[in-house]
Amino acid sequence: MSGPVKRRDFLKIMGATGVGGTLAGCDLPSTVTLEEGKEDVVSYFMPEEYVIPGVGVWFASTCMQCTAGCGVHGRIREGRVLKIEGNPDSPVNKGKTCQMGQAGLQGHYNPDRIKEPMMREGGKLSAVTWEKAMGVLKEKTASAGNKVAWFSGTVSGHQSALISNYLDSVGASKNHYTHEIVNSAVWQAVNRDMLGDSMPKLDIENAALVLSFGADFLGTWMSPVHFAGKWAKFRSVSSGPGRGTLIQVESKMSLTGGNADLWVAVRPGSEGAFALGLANYILMSSPEAGNSLSGELKTHIASFDMDTVSKLTGTSQDYIKRVGDALINRSPSLVLAGASVEGHEHGYDAVAAVMLLNVMLGNIGKTIQPSSPSPFQQLEARQGGTRDLVEFSKAATAKEFDVVFFSGANPVFTAPESLGLTKALENTGFKVAISTFPDDTTMQADLVLPLASYIEDWGTHVPAYQGDGNVLSIQQPLMEKLYSGTKGLGDLLLELLKDKNPGQYGAYKDYYAYLQDAIKTMQGSSSVKGREANNKNFWNSTLQAGVINIEGGNKKFALNNVDIKVPVSASDSDYPYYLVPSPRMGLFDGRHANLPWLQESPDQIAKIAWKSWVEIHPSTAKKLGVERGDIIELSSEHGSIEAEVYTMKSIHPDAIAVPLGQGHEEYGRFAKGLGVNPLKILTAKTDRKTGELAMYATRIKAKATGRSEFVRMRGNKTQGGRKFVRTINVDLLKRTEGA
Amino acid sequence: MKALKYLLASSLISVFLVVSFGLNSVSAKEAIPPGGSHDGVDVPQPIEFPHNIHVEDNGINCMYCHTYARRSKVAGIPPTSKCMGCHKIIATDKPRIQKLTEYWTKGESPRWKKVHDLPDFVHFTHERHIKRFVFDQDYPVEDVKEICAFCHGQLKEMTVANKVKPLNMGWCVSCHEANGGPGDCWKCHK
Repeated sequence: MSGPVKRRDFLKIMGATGVGGTLAGCDLPSTVTLEEGKEDVVSYFMPEEYVIPGVGVWFASTCMQCTAGCGVHGRIREGRVLKIEGNPDSPVNKGKTCQMGQAGLQGHYNPDRIKEPMMREGGKLSAVTWEKAMGVLKEKTASAGNKVAWFSGTVSGHQSALISNYLDSVGASKNHYTHEIVNSAVWQAVNRDMLGDSMPKLDIENAALVLSFGADFLGTWMSPVHFAGKWAKFRSVSSGPGRGTLIQVESKMSLTGGNADLWVAVRPGSEGAFALGLANYILMSSPEAGNSLSGELKTHIASFDMDTVSKLTGTSQDYIKRVGDALINRSPSLVLAGASVEGHEHGYDAVAAVMLLNVMLGNIGKTIQPSSPSPFQQLEARQGGTRDLVEFSKAATAKEFDVVFFSGANPVFTAPESLGLTKALENTGFKVAISTFPDDTTMQADLVLPLASYIEDWGTHVPAYQGDGNVLSIQQPLMEKLYSGTKGLGDLLLELLKDKNPGQYGAYKDYYAYLQDAIKTMQGSSSVKGREANNKNFWNSTLQAGVINIEGGNKKFALNNVDIKVPVSASDSDYPYYLVPSPRMGLFDGRHANLPWLQESPDQIAKIAWKSWVEIHPSTAKKLGVERGDIIELSSEHGSIEAEVYTMKSIHPDAIAVPLGQGHEEYGRFAKGLGVNPLKILTAKTDRKTGELAMYATRIKAKATGRSEFVRMRGNKTQGGRKFVRTINVDLLKRTEGA
Repeated sequence: MKALKYLLASSLISVFLVVSFGLNSVSAKEAIPPGGSHDGVDVPQPIEFPHNIHVEDNGINCMYCHTYARRSKVAGIPPTSKCMGCHKIIATDKPRIQKLTEYWTKGESPRWKKVHDLPDFVHFTHERHIKRFVFDQDYPVEDVKEICAFCHGQLKEMTVANKVKPLNMGWCVSCHEANGGPGDCWKCHK
């Protein structure tokens, strides 16, 4: 509408909005309270002695919402699990959980769960019986020979052992690909090379200073609940060396960054330069810190003088000095490197530069301690990274697989277009998705096998990071299966193995029987604590505790020097900005986008929920001529995405961040079609030494589209069916409330 | 002046103490049944369960079948196995018992319809009320039906249960006030 609004029109508009507002504000009657004869109430048929309706019983299990492996307790009432809390007996989380753990219930009770097997017939997935599904699967795997692959997320315990055994049985041992977008693969590779220990223990609580380069240990890094416990002690005035100081160096503020005493914004990819700049600063004040360093390395460090580092990082020299002085004056310290340091072509070198600070400051053996090797190596976590995604894409494109199993991973969502996974999947003969939800990968499969939720399944898990003692965490069902058409992962694996190796596996009725037998075998090991109990008691006490504590071996660090070459100059590009695809505690890598609780809980920094947005520094926004709420287009060499601008100062002006998690093309009613997926436009470049995807190295252009969100308001006109304010119609009110 | 303030404060405290002790003594002694009435609709049940035969004719205690009332927030519909404990032998020729036996043979419980329903945001507990009105009072447990009748009416006169009290918030609060029950919002809305 253009031109001045006439008085009469104005009144019409007001009238219409008034009515519209009233209708929208008043949801349909939502109260059926105090009604008689509406709800069913069904008694137990023949209850267990200990069951009292209305009184909860707690069972121990393991959380599977991320890869940390926290122990949980579930409160069961009338046969249904109602609440999840942490298991105090687990050394991982010590009785605590995070919001993702709490929201596990919403995955379990999710209305979009797959309830029966489906097979692609005539281009469409349609329901089939288990007999038919397994019949076809056995036929396909028999003719595939060793051209079988298994693509999973991080997996450990006996399920991992069974996957390996299955692939061994078909002669495809090397074809297990484990993939996680949120990982610490490069950190582990550097530790393995420099310390001889890929997962050293990090003694955060006893450090006086933690300097974290993008390691979001309170949000998404390795074992967030475990580290949050350490963090509480680290910050305590009364324990350890007193209240510790946290300095966070990153290009986009993470949850951990938000908690830091000093937050330093650096240009993406320059973290390694910042670390070497600090090394240089330390060497200038105390040359003996460099005693163990090679001459070549010292020369490389010397090229990172204040001026160079300041230019590379886009940070003032004052900050470099302040951080350097803090490192020199506050000991013991601990220096960490997270995903944003790893995700570049020189990611390995940058992480090594960060670890070098630990070596120079004498933190090795103090705040960084050797891990305890477990005697049960076959059960150790097979941790996912992105190298396997790259390798799988290549192998599948080359038509190396006739049958691929997908479980616990959603590569169609997480793989950048530039990897050519779409082509790879076209070239894969038969795709089998073992999945609880109709996610992006599952809906492209040829055969879908419905997986029980982790709350209904049996399993064992070994946490990848074991800070306070080695443990095997037990996953036991917290309630009966909601859908009889679903199967547990262990049961499925066992069925596949029975077919290939009946001699070894034929005797087991189900995975429960297999696990019982396996745990009994473990009891024979002298490393298992509490093994003195007789067999039956050991099994029962294991289920009760939810964990088996394991005496780990002693290990010593084997210190090595590694080559470190961090670029001394920034590369120019037609694409002036760096794309930061940032994960957060909540939606994580997108796996929790179908849980409304986690969609509803806003981003910890931007405070936005239920959608995608683009985080831009105000100065960059000004340069681009955009404001909050404007729709902006971001393009890389591999495609473009659009979302609305959110300006904030907690980001480097050269970085543009798009949070991870949204942009699902499938994944049920809550996630589908919501927001955009920044992973799609990432570069296919990899870290030169480890082959991990350089996830933070994508260069982009940004352009205003001229469009913006039409009306920006706080709040909402409707309740969205959430019943904040309950309504009742007059007749019902009169009848039930006597008004 | 200081002394005056002190006197004023202490007398206020003693008034408060007297009042609160007074209230406590009311709550410890008398039970004042809630008033109010509600004309409940007939709720058809899968089996027309005769409360009157069980309570009045045979003098069975409410808590014999609704055994969870003293232990839990819900009184509980008795498990089918409990019904069959008697009805494997008693009255097996009656159509209602035959229908029950059918359920039993199938391994199912009847799907009863809830008559006394509260909204999900109301945390009501039978256990606390039984404690207050029966056990704390040394009230004879054999007469517990009179206490149950405060809220559920005289079941001894009904076949299937019928709602005879409003069970709305105003009604709950008036009884709490009369009997010295808690007045905090979060006691019921937690």
